[in-house]
Amino acid sequence: MESTIQSSEQNQLLARFSGFWQSFKKNRSGLIGLGMLVVILVMAIFAPLIAPYASSSTSSAGLSDIYNPPSAAHWFGTDDAGQDVFSNFIFGARVSLTVGFFAAFISIIIGGIFGLVAGFFGGRWENFIMRFTDIMLVIPDLPLMVVIVALTKPSLLNIIFVIGLLGWTTTARVVRSQTLAVKSRKFVLRARAIGAGKGHIVSHHILPLVMPILVVQAVLVVSLAILNESALSFIGLGDPTALSWGQMLNYAFGRGAMSTGAWWALVVPGFGIVWVVLGLTLLGQGLEKVLNPRLETHHLMQGRPSVQSEAGWDVAKKGTLLEVQNLSINYVNEGQPPARAVENVSFTLKEGELIGLVGESGCGKTTLMLSLLRLLPAAGQIVNGRVFFNGKDLVMLGDEELNDIRWKGISIVFQGAMNALNPVRTVGDQIAESITQHLPGFPKENIEARVIELLELVGIAADHKDHFAHQYSGGMRQRAMIAMALACNPQVIIADEPTTALDVMIQAQILELLDGLRKKLGLAIIFVTHDLGVVAEMCDKVLVMYGGVTAEYADVDIIYNNPKHPYTQELLKAFPDLTKPKKKLSSIPGYPPRLEALPAGCRFAPRCPSVFSRCHTEQPILHDLGNEHLASCHLLEASK
Amino acid sequence: MNRTRAFLKKTAWALFTIIFVIILNFFLFRVLPGDPARAGIRDPRLKKEAIEMLRVRFGLDKPVINCFESLNPIQVGSCAVNPFDTQFFIYVRNLVQGELGISYHTNRPVTDILAERLWNTVLLIGAGQILSIIFGVALGIFAAWKARTSIDYLAVGSSLVAWSLPTFWLGIILLFWGSAHGFPLAGKATPGMSSMPLLQQWGDIARHMFLPTLTYTIVYMGEYTLIMRSSLMDVLSEDYILTAKAKGLNAFQILKDHALKNAMLPLVTVIAINLGFTVAGAIQIEAVFSWPGLGSAIYEAVVRRDFPVLQGAFLLIAVAVILANLIADLTYNFLDPRVQTE
Repeated sequence: MESTIQSSEQNQLLARFSGFWQSFKKNRSGLIGLGMLVVILVMAIFAPLIAPYASSSTSSAGLSDIYNPPSAAHWFGTDDAGQDVFSNFIFGARVSLTVGFFAAFISIIIGGIFGLVAGFFGGRWENFIMRFTDIMLVIPDLPLMVVIVALTKPSLLNIIFVIGLLGWTTTARVVRSQTLAVKSRKFVLRARAIGAGKGHIVSHHILPLVMPILVVQAVLVVSLAILNESALSFIGLGDPTALSWGQMLNYAFGRGAMSTGAWWALVVPGFGIVWVVLGLTLLGQGLEKVLNPRLETHHLMQGRPSVQSEAGWDVAKKGTLLEVQNLSINYVNEGQPPARAVENVSFTLKEGELIGLVGESGCGKTTLMLSLLRLLPAAGQIVNGRVFFNGKDLVMLGDEELNDIRWKGISIVFQGAMNALNPVRTVGDQIAESITQHLPGFPKENIEARVIELLELVGIAADHKDHFAHQYSGGMRQRAMIAMALACNPQVIIADEPTTALDVMIQAQILELLDGLRKKLGLAIIFVTHDLGVVAEMCDKVLVMYGGVTAEYADVDIIYNNPKHPYTQELLKAFPDLTKPKKKLSSIPGYPPRLEALPAGCRFAPRCPSVFSRCHTEQPILHDLGNEHLASCHLLEASK
Repeated sequence: MNRTRAFLKKTAWALFTIIFVIILNFFLFRVLPGDPARAGIRDPRLKKEAIEMLRVRFGLDKPVINCFESLNPIQVGSCAVNPFDTQFFIYVRNLVQGELGISYHTNRPVTDILAERLWNTVLLIGAGQILSIIFGVALGIFAAWKARTSIDYLAVGSSLVAWSLPTFWLGIILLFWGSAHGFPLAGKATPGMSSMPLLQQWGDIARHMFLPTLTYTIVYMGEYTLIMRSSLMDVLSEDYILTAKAKGLNAFQILKDHALKNAMLPLVTVIAINLGFTVAGAIQIEAVFSWPGLGSAIYEAVVRRDFPVLQGAFLLIAVAVILANLIADLTYNFLDPRVQTE
């Protein structure tokens, strides 16, 4: 029984390790670092086999042996004592690495224990340890090491202890915060609830999760310890009997290598230090990246250029403000097939019109909206289609011209305005910025009045103008975003789920506000939502998206009274209707397809109640049902 | 209100740390065995009167602190001693009066020696910090903006190499290079320069400063580049940057008006934490270039076993770092509006 548990634990460990290795293998800098370290470790371990001369061959050295330049006999020349620099370099690796590893071991043990105790027990322990850590962190460590080593014997052991005993501070901090994070995870809380002992919880639940970070930290601490040892040696506080790389440099620098021009005695040992420290740093970074994978991407990165593979329709129809034709967007990640996030979506928007864009999360609604103004993340690429705005195709427009249309022609109210406002600039300042950006003729002295006017329009008192976003409530932020979106009198506003994160009362206020503004200012609005109630009340037209494609597109009345696509029908079943209070609500089982695993046929097929065999193999085309009513379903072919 | 409280709390904490350092400094030099003043009085060749004279001269005739005659090895003494007549109290009183003892080597007051040298170190660290921050931040911004292009890989790679360089070794290499290109190799000024016009003197100092400052800049620039890059990468992936982009601002405007301030904030903390390492760098650089600052004072004190100078220099450096840390901390609070109102 015991052994089976143990072996399964071992298997788990093995599986975790191999999983780790799989992702580490892809990390180029981490692999290079590991390789660099392996080379130097092999060299240190097999030093007597590799080194051409024994470690201390002073006896045979004469005056003529001192500072000989590199030659066939001495690849890297000789040093101040007539010894072979290359051999000393190889043996020096042993000393430098020994100091580095043992000192780091001490630091990691101390820092690890302090961090665990502080994080796990909290309270007075934590307070005391962290205060002490703060103090030790502020005291400059090299001067303190110098003082202590100068007052004691500069033996290798002493140096190891001094470096080790002073190098634990960052480890303690890192381990503490990781312990805190792990402590509140469910399985730890569960273990506590069933009365597991503290020792058991720490060793079985917390330590395994703190360990990886401790390893990364250890790698960095080793490199710091090696740097500190070399500095101490160079200052003259190294162990005179152990020729580390730092000590070699100390001797060479102090004994005339400079004046005799013996660069080899100075360059070679330093190169060893750089090699090891760089190797450790690269390895540490690689490990860190595997443990905390971060998308190395941001909003200013050059995106992929748009492509228009098909000839478009004619230039925009008369009377339309915005016309989207056959727009397709892929997400392209290296080494993976492109993910088809949006495919062949078309719709039109007239002045003063409100179109609702409906679908579950993950159906490509936000991607579609971002692509209209080419705001997609770097991996996103428009692979086909056109976006006509006032007759100009935004997909192919130059950057500068596009910047003019952004906000002045089309503005966006983002989903969850929590972070959409800059935290270190006042809200008023950010609204004013959009005015100065797009309306250069706007009189400077009137800007403040305009900002106040805009804020009052959305129901925010003027004196909140100079406040920061964190001083606003969630609803106020959302309204401030709307005020900002209105600042340049745009013709179109895209409202991307502007009310999802808000409570019902504020939702209603914001919706009313947007609808009022539309009537007052003649705005056209694209309203992204999964709330069909909102759509029913306000919208003129509805576009229902599923899995990145148009499911159905029609007037709001048709959508509600005569929906053709099974997805629209199912969505409506999930929506309470006041006129039919006895109707039973039902939700659609399952989830929208993941982009990297789209079904071969109709994307809704796996969840569709009316599915038949063709749906699984063939993607339905968009059927035009007349009256600008479009739907993509195989069932419609028969009915037509 | 809250800001004043935070200010007072931080200042009080810095004061407490300074007191800790003062106490640590005293006991380190009393507990650890190396000080020749105490080693000397155990020399069997000395007569009793001579030993007594030495003890009086170095104040060793008094008990270390109340109840303890000596800490190494520990000898319990009378607790009835006047606490003000102990070595610890005299040390503290001298400190308050700005006295740090007499140098064994030059017989001059340590305070005078350190006062001469303090400004040279401040000059070196100041110039090096400013340059490394300017270049490091600029390179970091560029690398983040052009993330995952060859420019970025080059910037990150060279920063990692710079970070891995032992400071003193880079100094040696640059010294080697400088000696071939006619740069002055040691000290702060050419002898006899003091009779020259002021402008020429400054030029001379600048020439002497070039190599140490270059060493300093290269070593610390790498770290600032990496931190600035990762901080800016974080900021640039925030939602409000997307808002700024949607507002039609171009990349330059977004960086200048929306990203930099936010990305610089963590850097302030890092600069503060770095000050300790900075001093470590200064010791090594000053040792290589014989720059007459606090770092070379430490180096020389170690070589000559001049413990009063070592003790004084350590205390001065530690206090300076603590204060600089406090200033950086308070600056951060001042810069970040989120802290102000919390």
